[in-house]
Amino acid sequence: MNTIAIILVIALVLFTIALSIFSRRFTRTTADFYLAGRKVGSFSNASAISGDYLSAASFLGVAGAVYASGLDGVWYAAGFAGGFMVVVLFIASALRRFGEYTVADFAYGRFGSDRVRLVTVVATLLVSIFYMAPQMYGAGTTWKILVGRGFFPAGADGLFLGVDPIYLSGVTVVAAIMMFYVAMGGMKGTTLNQIFQFWWLWFAMFLVVAFAFGQGFNYPAELKTASEAKLTATKTLTVKELTAVDAKTGKAPLDNAKATMSAESLAEVEKAIAAGDETVKVNVLLTQKNKLHDTRNMIFGEPGHRYNTFDQFSMVLALVLGTAGLPHILNRYYTNPSGAAARRSTFWVLIFIGTFYIMAPIAGLAARSRILDAFANGTAPANAAYVDGILVKSDALMPTIGQILGGEWLLGIVAAGAFAAMFSTIGGLLIASASAVGHDVYEKYINPNATEANRVAVGKGAVIFFASLAWVVGWAIPYTGLQNAYPALIAMMVTWAFAVGASAFVPMLLTGIWWKGTTERGAISGMLVGLVGSIAIIFMNISQQLKVPAFAADQGVVGFLASLTFPVLFTFPAALLTIIVVSKLDGQLPKNLDEIWMRIHGTAHERYERELGLDKVGGVFGGGK
Amino acid sequence: MTSPADTTSAGTSQTFIRHGDHIDTIESVDMVFREQRKLSFTYGAIFFAVTLFIPASSVWWEAWYTTPVWGGFTLNYLVVSLLYYIFLWTMAWTYSKQADKLDESLMHMADEVANKSIGGEGQ
Repeated sequence: MNTIAIILVIALVLFTIALSIFSRRFTRTTADFYLAGRKVGSFSNASAISGDYLSAASFLGVAGAVYASGLDGVWYAAGFAGGFMVVVLFIASALRRFGEYTVADFAYGRFGSDRVRLVTVVATLLVSIFYMAPQMYGAGTTWKILVGRGFFPAGADGLFLGVDPIYLSGVTVVAAIMMFYVAMGGMKGTTLNQIFQFWWLWFAMFLVVAFAFGQGFNYPAELKTASEAKLTATKTLTVKELTAVDAKTGKAPLDNAKATMSAESLAEVEKAIAAGDETVKVNVLLTQKNKLHDTRNMIFGEPGHRYNTFDQFSMVLALVLGTAGLPHILNRYYTNPSGAAARRSTFWVLIFIGTFYIMAPIAGLAARSRILDAFANGTAPANAAYVDGILVKSDALMPTIGQILGGEWLLGIVAAGAFAAMFSTIGGLLIASASAVGHDVYEKYINPNATEANRVAVGKGAVIFFASLAWVVGWAIPYTGLQNAYPALIAMMVTWAFAVGASAFVPMLLTGIWWKGTTERGAISGMLVGLVGSIAIIFMNISQQLKVPAFAADQGVVGFLASLTFPVLFTFPAALLTIIVVSKLDGQLPKNLDEIWMRIHGTAHERYERELGLDKVGGVFGGGK
Repeated sequence: MTSPADTTSAGTSQTFIRHGDHIDTIESVDMVFREQRKLSFTYGAIFFAVTLFIPASSVWWEAWYTTPVWGGFTLNYLVVSLLYYIFLWTMAWTYSKQADKLDESLMHMADEVANKSIGGEGQ
């Protein structure tokens, strides 16, 4: 137990709850609950968007990905930041001008059918669930390092419901807190919390980097040192996988491990092999292959650890296009008072998250040598697992390096930062999911005459349902063994959400905003192609990683598709092309197209608001004029 | 907080939306749209050209990812970890300023075009 760290996390949780209770007085209408009264200023909104956006993937995942993969991991940071350019250039002003609550509202208003709204709702929920998964996994992982004990009873196999009871305790605590604070505070409370949480996690990352520099970190010199040797990374394999000989190379992973691991660590692995149980899992350290330039050694500072040629492009496209396909981020643009304010918000977001993303890879690089040194000195935190001084789970990097650099205090600040990252993002996702169900389905189809109190109550009920669903997802990840399939799972899972959002929403939004000829059938077809295509390829890739026989081959069309870590390179153009072709063939444009076009691109509303001074924002606590 | 939009349709070219004294007609909106599209897509082309140049270089330009330029930094590492952000900030800043300026000039023009196209009905 890390007492100081736990006290800091509890203080964060209590403050979060207090803010939510304080916000209740401002959450009387659905506009308050879903959109914070549409009057959030640029700086506040930018901080809240940054809080919404910087999730466990950014706080735990990016540094972890850099630690495990080097340059390919750094791309996560740059790509996450680059995504906001697409938002500001093509989406932000138009969405705000259209002036509805949700992306589904936009689809309905633009294409005028219930079908398109419902398809958008389904896509919103699927993207949100994809995004929720890594947050919950991060919750369990951080809890395990921070608290190190749980409240679920362990069975004879040391598990509860088939997973680690300590991990599940963390997932449960975070789901319960989120359920409470989002249902209580709505968008206003969530906005206030996200502003606070963003600045906390920014400060936590800053402290880690400052401590590293304070203790002699030299960026160019350490990058040089890290790039001198071949890149090594840990992997968890069963004895059967470890000893399986590859038909092409005639070698087994065990041969690689023998050449890479220390004699002491290898002795433990050989002991497990000698025991004869092929299903036993062992942690090994392996020298990594270069997937991009197969004749070159894989080193820290070169691309190719995670991504081949296709994935280099596909990942960049997933990240830069995916941001514009995240419903919880797009919903935030409706809280701006004007199109110009939406652009200003995005500029500030880029400054805030850009500085954060410059720091995260520094933390990842600094950790490589410092964790090795701490391991050699016997001072490495005991709650994390290592092979020869390399973390088994790179997602545990931030709390580990926090403790090594600054003891319990810095561990506490970092752990609170990790929880802040999860809270702020899960809060946004719960609001987006609740508005998809409460606003887009309940208010439109089930009970259009519902009272304001009823509508807010349904929104809160939806929050509770989706927080429970988040718990199930958090449980399912270790239950299915997914955490052993990828070296930096949190960042990887978030990128899947980006890929689904980029494929399902972005083609519809781009064509809906910029091409008058887009029809309802075209939009629906494109969304379905993007949604189904991206999810299918992601699941094929997961199946291949988990060695499911049907997808294990790396030959043929199925083998090729299953080998794609990110499907965007194919699914985004496929969805876009589908929209264009089907719209051309269909030709059924909405009868009131001119009126719709004027809502998206017209400026009379803004001119009018400006004349009356209504484009000015109120204070973040008090709402607008 | 906002005025209810008073939308009138009297034939395709006569559709307009009014907020107070301000009117959008399809002609004025099309003009605004064309200018915004030009600005957004010009910046978009630059953004995607620079962004996709990075992985393209990582695949096909060996010196980009192998030659150190500062300690262990190769051009590839330096751009992805530091310089790309400066590019993003510069683009976002200049685009926002230009879009604000465009909004400003188009707002006046939109009023003029709208008033012309509905025969001064908005005044």
